[in-house]
Amino acid sequence: MVLPSRDMDRIECQWCKAQNDSGQTTCGTCGAPLDARNLVSDSGWKEAPRLKDMTEFKFSNSTCQVEGELVPVAEINLAQGDSVFFEHHVLLWKDEAAPLSAMSLGGGMKRMLGGMPMVISIAHGPGRVAFSRDASGEVVVLPLHPSMELDVREHAFLVASHSISYSFERIKGMTNVLHGEGMYLDRFVTTGEQGILLLHGYGNVFQRTLGEGEKILVEPGGFLYKDSSVQMNTVQQNVKTGLMRHGMYLAEMTGPGRVGIQSMYVHHHSE
Amino acid sequence: MTTTETSTYTCRFCRLPSDASGTSCPNCGAPVDVKSVVSDSGWQEQPAVKDMARIQFGQSTCQIEGTYVPTADFGLAGDDSIYFSHHCVLWTEPTVQMTAMPMAGGWNRVRAGLPLVMLEARGPGHIALSDDAPGEVVAIPIQHGHSVWVREHRFLAATGNVNYTWQQSGIWITTGAGNDQETHFPLGMFIDIFHAEGGPGLLLLHSPGNMFIRDLRQGETICIQPSSLVYKDPTVGMQLHLEYPNAGAMNFGWHSAFSYRQVWLRMWGPGRVAVQSVFERPENSGQITSHSPATRTVW
Repeated sequence: MVLPSRDMDRIECQWCKAQNDSGQTTCGTCGAPLDARNLVSDSGWKEAPRLKDMTEFKFSNSTCQVEGELVPVAEINLAQGDSVFFEHHVLLWKDEAAPLSAMSLGGGMKRMLGGMPMVISIAHGPGRVAFSRDASGEVVVLPLHPSMELDVREHAFLVASHSISYSFERIKGMTNVLHGEGMYLDRFVTTGEQGILLLHGYGNVFQRTLGEGEKILVEPGGFLYKDSSVQMNTVQQNVKTGLMRHGMYLAEMTGPGRVGIQSMYVHHHSE
Repeated sequence: MTTTETSTYTCRFCRLPSDASGTSCPNCGAPVDVKSVVSDSGWQEQPAVKDMARIQFGQSTCQIEGTYVPTADFGLAGDDSIYFSHHCVLWTEPTVQMTAMPMAGGWNRVRAGLPLVMLEARGPGHIALSDDAPGEVVAIPIQHGHSVWVREHRFLAATGNVNYTWQQSGIWITTGAGNDQETHFPLGMFIDIFHAEGGPGLLLLHSPGNMFIRDLRQGETICIQPSSLVYKDPTVGMQLHLEYPNAGAMNFGWHSAFSYRQVWLRMWGPGRVAVQSVFERPENSGQITSHSPATRTVW
């Protein structure tokens, strides 16, 4: 990204804080509209920017274009030497010549039992590849600056650039998006180089930045991502639900840091 | 928008008057600056509540956030309360007090797939609710002493002064015979009834897809897919309507009995009917052997 010489010619993106030339209408780093009002609720949740159809932004030497609005597609034109990784089932189409490889992960049996893919796929440039998940919602673009660490709920990760390292952990006692107990958290870490991470949020996505020690209780199915500085604990509410008098559990998030939520989720069973 | 000389208007969706200074109705959040969109057949499209629109009730507010799967973010003042099904909670501030509100008729509610327990939330603080399907959050202010009948599973939240009861929908069919006999409830086993007591109240529903309303005149009838009903005025009557289209050469045996038949919900005025554009595909079941009161047409 080329920065103009004068401060007054720059527009700061309200979503990722990147500086943009005054002539741009969308952020060159994350695609957020620069000419739209920042939507923040009375309670402090900022709505993730609605990416305009066909919005394009750059990372490394490659470009990403987000197409469609109901179930958006992220189409990436990978330059030579660039690569992205993803769960294999989110691949919508690819150029025949674009090479694929696999990233081996530990804990394969646990991941399989948790409904997580055992292998993460990698697409290499040059070539075009496109990704989408299978539900209406939003593509959330999160540029990760050097030395950032972000935790993302299972089944939300769409694609990440090669400069980001990936690991995962299991959070016990948190309701899984499918069923059963426990939730996998995907962990994305950058070291010396900036990277870009794309998530799929089911429904609408909102973000709130918690202050030091500030707490918020979130339905586990609605949780989407958090800075690793945000502590997450399962807390039982003082109410019983259903015929079997199940306890009601919420995820207690304690700042400092960002928390992202999605408005559509598979909720608790009523029985 | 219907304007008068005193700069008041009557919202065409919630039918309540207020001043015309805002961009959305303070009672239901419907935008006031849009043209009425009415189809040739008389269905009026309920415009989606604008992103971040605020609705006032008591000393509290409700802000509708998002457009795909909107959330209802309640800013509860000290003495105000709302109730809702526990599975709709998206997030809450720790200051909000949640208590259980047990429902009578628990076993019947379990059989109908309805929540056994409602939660009541009291302020001060914020709490947000959402359902899990793309669609619209619809706010219905209920005047003191008035009621609204709502199809089951459409309820999102109501203010504390709105009384909630339910009753059998009375709409059913049975298919098969002997041990294979099955009872089906095209509208659901129960219908939720909300009644404002001790003052006006606010009811929030979630409508998957888009929602359309129609004010039926006295005696005017309409047939709708039973699972598309969102809510109706209590004055609107309803019963089944069974229709057997003429299938030509195939109009015999099981074809005429159930393959081509249509099971409608026949409704008649006066009063308002609201339908959603997403509905469940009718069940592929056997020949109808008995049913609740119904009209019948064989073409």
